[in-house]
Amino acid sequence: MSSDLMSAAAGDDPAEGLRAVRSLRVLADRLEALHVERARRLGWAWQHIADVLGVTRQAVHKKYGKRFP
Amino acid sequence: MFERFTRSAREAVVWAEEAGRREGATHIESGYVLLGAVHVEGSVAARALARLGIERDSLAECVRSLDADSLDADALAAIGVDLEAVRAQVEATFGAGALDAAAGRPARGKGHVPFDPASKKMLELALREAVRFKSKGIDTGHLLLAAARLDGATAQRALAWFGHDRKAIEDAVVATWAEAAE
Repeated sequence: MSSDLMSAAAGDDPAEGLRAVRSLRVLADRLEALHVERARRLGWAWQHIADVLGVTRQAVHKKYGKRFP
Repeated sequence: MFERFTRSAREAVVWAEEAGRREGATHIESGYVLLGAVHVEGSVAARALARLGIERDSLAECVRSLDADSLDADALAAIGVDLEAVRAQVEATFGAGALDAAAGRPARGKGHVPFDPASKKMLELALREAVRFKSKGIDTGHLLLAAARLDGATAQRALAWFGHDRKAIEDAVVATWAEAAE
């Protein structure tokens, strides 16, 4: 179905670009969650994860603290 | 309001709640309420959509692709990202189904999943449709009519994608009502 949607949309259609951006965000979020979970299982400290992600320890802990304690 | 829902309409709402929970959604989107209405065997909504040539499976696929948390493979391909390649790579590291399981959502299978504002609006509109048609109860046909009125919501966009306007959907629902009671 989505390929029909695509063929209906022109190549320079903002909607197409915006959908791609949205999907990239979703994709990035999912990859982040997978890697944070793995890092925690490997014993990484929140600070270490935060440093690599370029965010504060608080931010990463708030987002994942409950899911991957 | 739920006391005025027919058995099928209640089943539709329950189906939507279960689907939301199963998929780990943070909210029940209107598209899932619509899918619930269509999933009830022989429901007014299912028969009305069949009249319009809309199959349940293609509607489900359409709703899923409109879900705010879904990955649009075609949009990604248009900027050179091959979702299947990403998926294969991720699954090689994290196991089968890992990419989908990682949807940024709370733990699955427990707790109450609230309806999103559009879904709540859909239930209200269904009540209004029942009043407009002087119907005794609110059935899945009313839910379908409500879905068609939800401008911009998942349910309405999914219906619009099949190219039938509100009027066509209303005609199909009315014809289905005339056929037999739910």
